[in-house]
Amino acid sequence: MEKTMKIPKLRPEMQNGVLCAWLKNEGDEVKAGEPVYEIETDKVVNQIEATDSGVLKKQLCEEGDTVDVLSPVAILETK
Amino acid sequence: MITFENTSHDPFYNQAFEEYIFNTCRDDDVFLVWQNEPAVIVGCYQNICREVHVPGLLARHIPVVRRMSGGGTVYHDLGNLNYTIISTQTELLDYDCYLTPVIHALNDMGIPAKKNRTCDIAIGDEKISGSAQKAAGGRVLHHGTLLFDSDLTILNQITATCKNDSFQSKGTVSAICPVTNIRRHLLRDMTVEEFRQRLLGKVLPPGSQTRTLSAEQISAVERLRDEKYRSWEWTWGRTPACRYEKEGLFSGMPIHITYAAKHGILSDAVVESPLLDGAKAAELLNGARLDPEEFFKISQVLAGSKAAELMDWLM
Repeated sequence: MEKTMKIPKLRPEMQNGVLCAWLKNEGDEVKAGEPVYEIETDKVVNQIEATDSGVLKKQLCEEGDTVDVLSPVAILETK
Repeated sequence: MITFENTSHDPFYNQAFEEYIFNTCRDDDVFLVWQNEPAVIVGCYQNICREVHVPGLLARHIPVVRRMSGGGTVYHDLGNLNYTIISTQTELLDYDCYLTPVIHALNDMGIPAKKNRTCDIAIGDEKISGSAQKAAGGRVLHHGTLLFDSDLTILNQITATCKNDSFQSKGTVSAICPVTNIRRHLLRDMTVEEFRQRLLGKVLPPGSQTRTLSAEQISAVERLRDEKYRSWEWTWGRTPACRYEKEGLFSGMPIHITYAAKHGILSDAVVESPLLDGAKAAELLNGARLDPEEFFKISQVLAGSKAAELMDWLM
């Protein structure tokens, strides 16, 4: 089953953030709780973890992209 | 809340020390104070070349260290005191819960400090402290500077007046703010050491434990220092993708240089100058690492005794 990872709202004022690093590549296996990417907003670098286990099927944005809160960032293929 | 003793002034070691405590001390709230010898500390996702004049720092022997938190570029010296608070993450990230105890401690010492912007501390309109955070695995590391008696002339030269507009890139751009030293605003003068002790005493609750790392733990910090914080991959390889373009006069003759860099590796290099071998320059630069030492070697091959002058055109 495909699951879409979305940019979480990390601070009350947060509108968007910069995806600064992918910690998993497309095709990598991801376990629930493992960090998948890092996003920077208001001087905070946040590691965002997968809530499900699966395979990272697609990265929907590139490092350096500014992404809005709740917009899709990755597709995870879960079992 | 606990604290760990750390008397090192090595900026690479101190970044590793902080990360080691963040990764291994999973249950306690931690408060650390520490100091660095002169160093430029850049945010996790910044283009160093755009933020500071790298050849100028090399000439002054001031190292550049990339930290794990976000935000902009800061200058540290032994007149600056850094603090770190590590705690368990609440649902939404917040600066106030970390800034408030520090501001209260300063106010208790008679310093009229107050919060400014999202995560700065100021006296009047002048900044005395900037902070940034890293959140991972349910824990938050918040750290900040406290300008106590820093060399503000050098600080301003490095962080405010030497921006390099030749780099076009994504990544975090530093804010430039007027700054002041806390020491100028004290009712009764004290040394930075006394300030450090008093800050610890005011932020740590009575009876808080002070721990010291074992020899084995120190070795682990040193490994992290050498393998991560001193590595090219971390400091320069994390540079956001960028394009560089600069033109002007090199030894009195026109020069025009462009290149691109991704993950810190150069491509599409073009060097046009009647004094330089353009084909050779492209051959040396394409595939080269964005790295001041490597650039200086290339400058020496291309320009011989004018290597230092060419460096200024390359980055």
